[in-house]
Amino acid sequence: MEPGSAKRRKIGHSRGSESAVGNIDAAASSGLSRGRAFILEAEELVDEVKLDYATALEGVDSLLHKIKGSIEAIEAHDALQISEAATKLEKKHKIQIPFPEPRPSDKSNYKVAFAKPSQFNVVGSYVSKTMIKAQKSHAVDMVVVIPGETLQEKDYLDLRYFYKRAYFLGVVAAALQKDLAEDGELSYEYLNGNTLSPILSLKLKVEGEKKEGRLDYRVRIIPCAPDNFFPKSKLHLGATLVRKAGGDESKAATKPTPFYNSTVVSESCFFPYLKLLRQTEKKCAAFKKACILGRVWLQQRGLGSDMADGGFGHFEWAVLLALLLQSGDSTKGHAPLSTSLSATQLFKAMVQFLSVTNLSEKSCVLGTAAVESETAGPVLFDAVRGLNIAFKMSNWSAAKLHQHAKWTRSLLNDSTADQFTPTFILKADLPWQNYDLIAHLNYDGKQDKTEPIDCRGRLWEYSDKVHRVLKRALQDEELGERARSIHIQLPKSSPWDLTKKPSTKQNHTIEIGVLFNAANMTRSVDRGPAAGPSNEEKEECARFQRFWGEKSELRRFEGDSIRETLIWSSTSPFDLCEEIMRYILKLHLRVAYLEDELTFHGDGFTELIPIKPTDTSVFNAARKAFSSFEKDIRDLDDMPLHWPESIVAIQRTKIAFLRMIGDLLERSKPGEVRSYVGLESSTTTNTELENLAYLDIVYESGPAFRLRIHSDLEEALLTRQSHDKTIDQHHRHQASVLLSNFRRLYYHLPLHTQSINTFATRFPAFSPTVRLLKHWFSSHKLASHFTPDFIELVALQTFLSPYPWDAPSSPSVGLLRALLFLSRWDWRSEPLIVDTNSDMPPSERSAIATRLEAWRKIDPLMNHTVLFVATAQESSGVAYTTVNGIAQPSKVVAARMTALAKTACRVIREEGVELDARRLFVPSTKEYDVLMHLSPKAIKAVSKVYPSEELTSTTTKSSSGSKYKNLSATAGEDALPLPSAPVDTFFEKLEQVYGSGSSAPLLFFRGGEEEKVVGAIWNPTLGRRGLKVNLGTSYKPVKSAGKRKLGGDEKDDEDKEKEEEEQLVEVNREAILSEIARIGGELVERIEVQRE
Amino acid sequence: MAPSPQTIGEFSVLPISIPPVPSFPRNVVHYLYVRRNTPKIPTANDSRSLFLANVPIDSTELHLRALFASLVGAGRFESASFEDERKEAEAVAAALDAAPAQAVRLLAAHGKKRKREDQEAAERAEEEAAARLPSTWTRPLRKSGSTAVVLLADEKSVHQVLKAIAKVHKSKKYPTWGGEGNVVAERVPQLGSIWLKAHNQLSYPDRDQLQAAVDAFSTMFARREREAAEIAKRLRNEPDEDGFVTVTRGGRSAPATRNEAEEAKKKMIEKAEKKKQEMTDFYRFQMRERKKAEQEELVKRFEEDRQKLDAMRQKRGKFVPEA
Repeated sequence: MEPGSAKRRKIGHSRGSESAVGNIDAAASSGLSRGRAFILEAEELVDEVKLDYATALEGVDSLLHKIKGSIEAIEAHDALQISEAATKLEKKHKIQIPFPEPRPSDKSNYKVAFAKPSQFNVVGSYVSKTMIKAQKSHAVDMVVVIPGETLQEKDYLDLRYFYKRAYFLGVVAAALQKDLAEDGELSYEYLNGNTLSPILSLKLKVEGEKKEGRLDYRVRIIPCAPDNFFPKSKLHLGATLVRKAGGDESKAATKPTPFYNSTVVSESCFFPYLKLLRQTEKKCAAFKKACILGRVWLQQRGLGSDMADGGFGHFEWAVLLALLLQSGDSTKGHAPLSTSLSATQLFKAMVQFLSVTNLSEKSCVLGTAAVESETAGPVLFDAVRGLNIAFKMSNWSAAKLHQHAKWTRSLLNDSTADQFTPTFILKADLPWQNYDLIAHLNYDGKQDKTEPIDCRGRLWEYSDKVHRVLKRALQDEELGERARSIHIQLPKSSPWDLTKKPSTKQNHTIEIGVLFNAANMTRSVDRGPAAGPSNEEKEECARFQRFWGEKSELRRFEGDSIRETLIWSSTSPFDLCEEIMRYILKLHLRVAYLEDELTFHGDGFTELIPIKPTDTSVFNAARKAFSSFEKDIRDLDDMPLHWPESIVAIQRTKIAFLRMIGDLLERSKPGEVRSYVGLESSTTTNTELENLAYLDIVYESGPAFRLRIHSDLEEALLTRQSHDKTIDQHHRHQASVLLSNFRRLYYHLPLHTQSINTFATRFPAFSPTVRLLKHWFSSHKLASHFTPDFIELVALQTFLSPYPWDAPSSPSVGLLRALLFLSRWDWRSEPLIVDTNSDMPPSERSAIATRLEAWRKIDPLMNHTVLFVATAQESSGVAYTTVNGIAQPSKVVAARMTALAKTACRVIREEGVELDARRLFVPSTKEYDVLMHLSPKAIKAVSKVYPSEELTSTTTKSSSGSKYKNLSATAGEDALPLPSAPVDTFFEKLEQVYGSGSSAPLLFFRGGEEEKVVGAIWNPTLGRRGLKVNLGTSYKPVKSAGKRKLGGDEKDDEDKEKEEEEQLVEVNREAILSEIARIGGELVERIEVQRE
Repeated sequence: MAPSPQTIGEFSVLPISIPPVPSFPRNVVHYLYVRRNTPKIPTANDSRSLFLANVPIDSTELHLRALFASLVGAGRFESASFEDERKEAEAVAAALDAAPAQAVRLLAAHGKKRKREDQEAAERAEEEAAARLPSTWTRPLRKSGSTAVVLLADEKSVHQVLKAIAKVHKSKKYPTWGGEGNVVAERVPQLGSIWLKAHNQLSYPDRDQLQAAVDAFSTMFARREREAAEIAKRLRNEPDEDGFVTVTRGGRSAPATRNEAEEAKKKMIEKAEKKKQEMTDFYRFQMRERKKAEQEELVKRFEEDRQKLDAMRQKRGKFVPEA
């Protein structure tokens, strides 16, 4: 796998005198650091998931013996007419025989007999010891071979073998029910959901207390045919073996029954495969481990041997891998994979193989055999045993397997990403992490008048048709593929009681998942084939019309081309997909005449925020306004530029400069532009060093801009000051804070905006994802603690490093992945590295990680640095999460973010498809100590101010009297721009008064501007303490009543003195709340104390 | 309510009753801590001033005047100075003074302070006041838990105030913030929404007013720069106390600016770096050593990976596939 490994190893040896040579060897042979980590981690995983068979499956051996004994003791009987034998058995033992549909008719003259099984054996992952702890259920498989003398060669026809097999199973069930009633519970189930092959399952009764590590396993008793009993030549995929299935003899006879045929073959393949796997285990040391890795990988993707899980599970993985390790005839004695590869190498090779082999599109034959390519469904043909290993798969599950393999391969090729966790640990099959749209289609078997052809059941055939129609409608390459994948989830079969007949439920719900191709799903006009005179073109058009029905119409396009065209009325990707699906399913399957026959899920998220198709044009208008503003500024003449060598003087010069720009603009565009020089409130104590001035420019046509001036010299001076050893620490610190603010404003944010802009164009789902994620932060009152750029980067990470999936193609998936990321991000020890240029060298990455480590060493309590976020442009790691020298967010808030994201992910997992999007956005206010209810009326009133409004007088009385005066004074005037939202100003001021971060007594949680309730919690770290000057917050003496009672009234002086020394103070909470109420005035409607 | 202590350390505790506010209708007690003012650098007025800790955030001089009037009667209170105001004034003065910084530094290096006459100082203060930018708030807020110094009429008043505070504890009649009936509130700019609206208005100061401040500053700055240049020039030729003459960069006419000096230094460092780079991999032993270092790095990284894995192993659940 590592092409350079051999060479490097050689170098390692030639050097070799140091003791570390062994290590180098190991390091070199495994290549890059990431790859090395992956190998070590995978080994660790195998150790972790391995079962301790002795305790986990305690007592299984004796149970298997008992079962064997019991079956062997069954009395044989001679051939009887089938219905007669069945009735006799059913009556005698009060059980049902699990005959497959259609059940044998009473008149049929098949004969069934029973004889002692010719062979017993235990097969499957119990034998190869590849079971893992995390499996959904654990089973030990015991195969019982139906003796050849009770079968006939011709039994492969018309379900005859399966009737006999069912009878055999019934007899065994009856015997075991009698003998093993005390040991456990017996039930029937279908082997891998295949209705042709019912089996018997014995679930052990657990007596007494459950032992640590013991599993709830079951034993599956599987009847099968003797090896090579049926002639393989008759069982090829194109054969038609169920002739009586259809009523219409002539029609049904022509259709092949590949599924039935493969099932028959598989019935006599248990032992050959057992042999194959045992041989491979012996030959290839890493085979078992590779199988375990494969099992985990498949399981995390929801793939399994059961037909409802896709029909590709651990068994299929193991067989495929074994075949690839075997030298076949076609490969000239050369096996595709070498048996000396390690487990991870084998795993990677398998992923590679699956990622280039799309079984639904092209048959794959291992060995030499001719396979009918006409067969429906995926083919993975094992020539030696004559079995299509993929016979349980469907076209959509093959596509799913292919897609996941592709995604995993790109992850394994990305040497910078964490390869291990997405590959094995993450649960990758949650519906909303995978599909942009999920539809539920109700299927009513009574309405379905079609006759089944093969033996997979009518529901399956119906689903297959749905899939084919949707694939053609949504994945047409000529039109431009709208969906990257279409998946269908069928209901799973469940075990049933021995006394009952298998379920004949007629109503089912099919779940259809669609993953968009974001670039194409927005298309509302589909251009079909051109209408031309040639026969070919005519045929093409006719085909198009046949499929699309009356929706197809001829339209003329630019360049005089006339094409078959489809016009859809919806605008959003989701609605378009729904419209198309409703139309085409109705047309071809006659469904959805009733509204509830077809229901759609997944647009709940976009409904939460006003995402409109016109958004782009609004945004473009803003961009245009900006460039015209830029031009206006550039067009100004006479701009002097000379900076004095002093920060204070620079700031003053800026004011003069801004004023001048304002004047010039107003003069150059009379009546079109108004400008206002504004001053910000300072954030540090030294107002003169800060850049406080800005220019607000309001165009009459609508757009408004805020202009600040960037001076290189300012940066140079600040840099010098922050390094200047001759000035005191405090001033140096101040200069460095100002410097980082400067860099943030003038370097990082412009670059950030630029890159975000690029990604918004590259990923259509990106900007709505950001908006949803911001809405989430806002809803949970976290927004004020995070910079918007941080939230954008989190969203971006789910697009740039989307493993184990591909980049999201809808906002809902984007949001859920971002939440998943937040819930899993261990920010205490991991930096978030957003590789915006996608070319960050590993050395840079490790430097960033080292920087984080260094920060954690200096500041283990995380008072100054909490979240560490680096991008290609900004690798210091703190630019996006530090404002004014203070960590945004603080540790407490970051922990809350993680907790909220974890809760959200739990809800997502638990609710599954039924997830109500609104649930993720419901804030909980009960955790807050104090709630502040703001008055919307007052906020609105504060938001509009006129230049000559009388506001600065000291008396309150004038305000009531001046109302009338205001009207006249401000008539005809334009309102002033807002320096910032009034609520923001208010809380910034509170922060200035009470401090922020770990020293503040009260921590505020507020959402967006429209949020009217602000939560607050008291800082738990500010406990009681001794009084000293400048405690930084309002303190009150602690009432020492408790102590006095203890001592009584009579105390000597010494005691009193001692008590005075110990006199402590604590935060005066009520006084602080009263102060806030006084500052806020009408703005704060009510302060609600939830907890004293 | 249990009695609060009268004193903590050298502070007398002065409880103040805060009247209820509509949005927080509770009777609240704020605690002010009062002692005689004893600054590190004594001044003439120390004996008649009091040091207050933990002043309410909405304190104004009028508030404190009313508070002291209710304690010892009117006419005793002279003025109050608040910590943040004092600090800000100092910082601003320092910043304005620091321009042109180099001259100041040179002076300091020579152990010479510009001698300032009282008159000159007053002039400067006036000049600075004219150059200051207008405030954007009608009323300042104090930092929570900050201090103030109150100047009283005489030493006796100080004594009386402390006595009155002791009495307050006995009578349990706490003085009301803002005076009885909150009379002060009528005479100071209101907080709340009017205050925020006024801030909005003041954030966009009158252009002429702004220009005047900028102009005043420019004049002051230009003059000081000139002065500084002269001093620097003079210092080039003047020996210091030990008889040394400071060598400063620059031509005959004037010393170089800091910027030029820094650029020169940068160039020098670059040059040195370039030279160093040219010399790498020149000799065989350099190459050998580099390769050895690379190899050691590889081993180190491998060890680090091992350690990381061990650390991960400590964190349970890292290797368990999610259910």
